[in-house]
Amino acid sequence: MLFNSYIFIFAYLPVVLAVFYALGYRERSWALAWLILASLVFYAWWRPLNVLLIAPSILINYGAAQGLVRLRGERPAAARALLLAGIAFNLCFLGYFKYLNFFRGTINDVFGANLILTQIVLPLGISFITFQKIGFLIDLHAGRIDKVRLFDYSLFVLFFPQLIAGPIVHYREMMPQFQAANCRFNSENAAVGLTLFFLGLFKKLIFADSLAAFVSPLYVHASAGGSIALIDAWIAAVGFMLQIYFDFSGYSDMAIGLARLFGIKLPINFNSPLRASSIIEFWMRWHITLTRFLTAYVFNPLVLHLTRRRAAKGLPPFSPRSATLPGFLTLLMFPTVVTMFLSGFWHGAGYTFICWGLLHGLFLTINHAWRFSRLRIWPDTVSYTRIMVPVGFLLTFLSVAFSMALFRAPTLRCAFAIWAGMLGQHGVSLPAEYFVRLGHAGVWLAAQGVHSAMTSGKALTQEIVFLAILLAIALCAPNTLQLLSRYEPALGSPRPSPNKPAGLSWSPSPAWAMGTAVIAAAGILSLGQLSEFLYWQF
Amino acid sequence: MSTRQEILQSLSSILSALLGDDSISLDMGTRREDVPGWDSFNYVNFIVGVETEFGVKFTVADVESFPNVGAVVEKIEQITAGAAGRKR
Repeated sequence: MLFNSYIFIFAYLPVVLAVFYALGYRERSWALAWLILASLVFYAWWRPLNVLLIAPSILINYGAAQGLVRLRGERPAAARALLLAGIAFNLCFLGYFKYLNFFRGTINDVFGANLILTQIVLPLGISFITFQKIGFLIDLHAGRIDKVRLFDYSLFVLFFPQLIAGPIVHYREMMPQFQAANCRFNSENAAVGLTLFFLGLFKKLIFADSLAAFVSPLYVHASAGGSIALIDAWIAAVGFMLQIYFDFSGYSDMAIGLARLFGIKLPINFNSPLRASSIIEFWMRWHITLTRFLTAYVFNPLVLHLTRRRAAKGLPPFSPRSATLPGFLTLLMFPTVVTMFLSGFWHGAGYTFICWGLLHGLFLTINHAWRFSRLRIWPDTVSYTRIMVPVGFLLTFLSVAFSMALFRAPTLRCAFAIWAGMLGQHGVSLPAEYFVRLGHAGVWLAAQGVHSAMTSGKALTQEIVFLAILLAIALCAPNTLQLLSRYEPALGSPRPSPNKPAGLSWSPSPAWAMGTAVIAAAGILSLGQLSEFLYWQF
Repeated sequence: MSTRQEILQSLSSILSALLGDDSISLDMGTRREDVPGWDSFNYVNFIVGVETEFGVKFTVADVESFPNVGAVVEKIEQITAGAAGRKR
């Protein structure tokens, strides 16, 4: 069931909430049990068979968890083996559904083999659910989780607002909230939750889906072998970057808002990433809970291990002042590229996603290398900040735009076609109408080799204006978390700063109620065409 | 055994060396986001620097969950006190 469907908004959600609150006044644990049941229905709606897949996986993970609780104190070696087995089980589960055909296809490509690709339906949200389960087992093994009941574990895994596409949560940040939740109606939670939900719906339906309408055909054209001229190529790259930005930030707002209706706060997942002035900062603002997961369970353990090994060899600590190339390669480039490779492969079983991950690994490596060397070549922080913050912003923006074309393109060939277009390899063309309007300037442009195309000038103008407006919103307008900052919309969301003027700030007032109602109405009126969230495919 | 102030001073100089910024002065409440440039990579480097300096070893779980500098200091005190206790 999609968040942006009539059935979800007008039937499922009202019924689930009404029964949840009603039970909450009688007996909290019934309300939470209802939430588990409702989440199973939510998951089964799309394909009932899914429940038959997720239920055994929950039971096996729960069994492993019980074993870990028993073994971790007395028999560390056995506990470690069980942990590894548990992780392997979850990875195999994911691997079967998501990667089997990819590996078969790759073997066919490389060795000319003839393995048959079977039709395997990917259970919705399996990538997110798998990561969350693995994180849970590692946390339990490390003693960060005390003990666990099947009821609590099921609630943690199935909680429907974040089931399909995150935010990826930790058990230790969710369970205390479920245990403390009074499961009754609370007007502040309802107001904050609905506001977030409808702001997210608006971003998804009015912004992201409108972008998709003119961005998707460009990728279809490019993947069919058509050439994409300069302006269209940039519209394809920047347009998709904004599409996925509003799609995923909209989804995150909706997930956070839905959880809030049940009195639960989810962690911050998105914080205006396009404002970042470096690619490192970008990843601290885009899909924050994924970055947090990969940092905690892949990058940090890897770096800690490698750094200790280096220290044990008696090599000097690796710091910006004593950076050596071998040190840089082993302690920074290697773990960064491995982590981003995994991130890319996690997003999708395809060469484009792998290359996208590797590209970001390279970007991050360059960013780190620059940080190291800039202390030597540009030690003055004041002038550095003044000049490099805007330059870094621009570089980050361009890097992300280029990489997003790779993320969206169905094949590498299509991505290369878009990139070639962005670099002007396929020439520049403008609608014929423009030449007429531009008069002498048009004649000059034609002399410079700008082609005239029989496309609609009005449509192009509208697209560019729309992109400019959305870019301005993404870069300058207060984001949803800032708007609602006085009500702690998400765990770890920025607090309002006392010495700064509040600016535009949400409050439970008639004016904001009217504004939210208009946004909600606009969203609901656009519900007609069902479009999945981009991140639901992962 | 070092006093808390001495431990904090060592931690400050380890981080100063890493970030190339001599003005860093950590206290018990300092969090990573309070120090510009203290990203996840520099954090791990800092942790191993601290491990080497004090001859202790943190678990991955510790490293992941230190909420602030104070927690690192307390963990060092706890580990070194434990080691001293065993010696006696």
